[in-house]
Amino acid sequence: MTKLAFMPLVALLVLALAACGDDDKDKEGLSKPCPTAPNAMATAPTLPGNFPAAQGITYTGVKKDGPSTIASGYLPDTIGPAHDAYVSAVKNAPGYAVTHEEQDVADSEVNFSGAGNSGQVKLLQTCKDRTQVTITIRPA
Amino acid sequence: MSRRLALALLALLALPAGCGSSSSGPRKQLLVVVNAPFSSTPYLGQTIENGARLAASEVNASGLRIDGTTYDLKVQTKDSALSPARALANVRSAANEHAIAVVDEGTGIDASWRVAKGMPICIVFQGGKEQVNPVTRPNVFRIAPTDHGIAFRLAEYMIPKGLKIGLLHDDSDYGASGGSALHEAFSENASSVALDETLPADAVDLAPQILRARRAGATALVVWGQPATIAAAITAARTAGWNVPFFTPPAGDDPFVRQQLADHPSWVDGLTFAGGRLTAEVGPKPFETFERKYEAAYGVDRVGVKTREGREVIQPPETGMYAYDFVNLLAAAVLKAGSTDPRKIATALQEVTIDGANGDERSFNNVSHDGVVDDDVYFARFRDMTYAPVKDDPLSATLPRIPQTR
Repeated sequence: MTKLAFMPLVALLVLALAACGDDDKDKEGLSKPCPTAPNAMATAPTLPGNFPAAQGITYTGVKKDGPSTIASGYLPDTIGPAHDAYVSAVKNAPGYAVTHEEQDVADSEVNFSGAGNSGQVKLLQTCKDRTQVTITIRPA
Repeated sequence: MSRRLALALLALLALPAGCGSSSSGPRKQLLVVVNAPFSSTPYLGQTIENGARLAASEVNASGLRIDGTTYDLKVQTKDSALSPARALANVRSAANEHAIAVVDEGTGIDASWRVAKGMPICIVFQGGKEQVNPVTRPNVFRIAPTDHGIAFRLAEYMIPKGLKIGLLHDDSDYGASGGSALHEAFSENASSVALDETLPADAVDLAPQILRARRAGATALVVWGQPATIAAAITAARTAGWNVPFFTPPAGDDPFVRQQLADHPSWVDGLTFAGGRLTAEVGPKPFETFERKYEAAYGVDRVGVKTREGREVIQPPETGMYAYDFVNLLAAAVLKAGSTDPRKIATALQEVTIDGANGDERSFNNVSHDGVVDDDVYFARFRDMTYAPVKDDPLSATLPRIPQTR
């Protein structure tokens, strides 16, 4: 067998060990109690294209970065239910579709298109029962 | 147990079975064609070929077993020379030779997808918006940052800085497509744009165009074009004593730019390019693993310049990574389809997911044939002939620096 034929085996072993280490590191923060939540916006914003809100979202800010709108907030939940909540919200919004989704131990992404826009909902669980939400909406 | 760990262990368990089947009889070959500009932009062509060959060699360690027959992937290269006509002829020839897929730089795709007869074509460099459409071009896929993503991320990064931006693009396929994306991304903020101009791709001296940008009041330039165009634009500005910051798409980190400016290393300092991130949330290990395998098989890609301390600069295989990921997705799709029919493989490509070389999942589906999302575009800035992710962009600030010296 050539040297090259052993390479997938070695690579997969390295990958498996790396995956263990990263998962453990991510999980450490998830058992921490959450600090005081950031202040909510006085009124929930209307996002471009009437982008849907997941049930339970608290918006904490909205800004423009050039052509794109960035909304911030949080969900009082862990990463799994938070991810599912946004997948469901996007899929059930008329004209919207999930173009890509990926969930890891403490973070996830839900990419979407619809209403002439595209973008991403980035979710990050940093403590026991709260998940940060960052929504980027760009003209498609 | 994480999904990634479970997949790795499953793959480990599958290896002995694969080794056993490899000795059970003669194998058949499935042709995968790499259609890239080997003669015009050699680094780009070579890294695409290397990425495709590396993945094929790993797939072939156990082969693809379908209905009692084991298949190997055979990679063949065809030079497009950046000519849409030649790229089209290459894809036609690949289809006639019963290739199961084409790994493509992107030139000429607007015509070549039709002659592919349903065979999947995956673009691994160009990012034009119209090039990929799951409905109208069901056999075209892409694993590379989109022009839309690059242009909008540049707009999001640059406009809040209050810069007056000169948008320059050359008249190559790549430049024209990028020019459209820039126009779209900056159209809502016209007051941030000092000028929007097309550059001739084959021009050696861009002094007149750069002078016009300076007179228009530009305080930053985006140059979207072939590596030669980017190098010529930087040369024209610096020769005139204009220290304007340059921003580019991924072509800015092509070794050719640094080779052209090797006599004036300080001219490269500050050059910022947007590209697809090389590492994901899981950290740099997956990419480092891929890079080690790539180097073990093909050696390092030498840029041909040195740092001020005299260390040799090498190029991380970003585009090679995309070709590698596609060939792995292709192998998964062949197994999913249980067929060597290119049309069935194209359909199955929408239903498989792999862990990509950078640690991100790679997949397509029936609403998106783009395997790199716009939000994975990051920014890196050159200093001393090597680059590092910038610190003033939320995504880029989280990314590690990839070693680039030996």
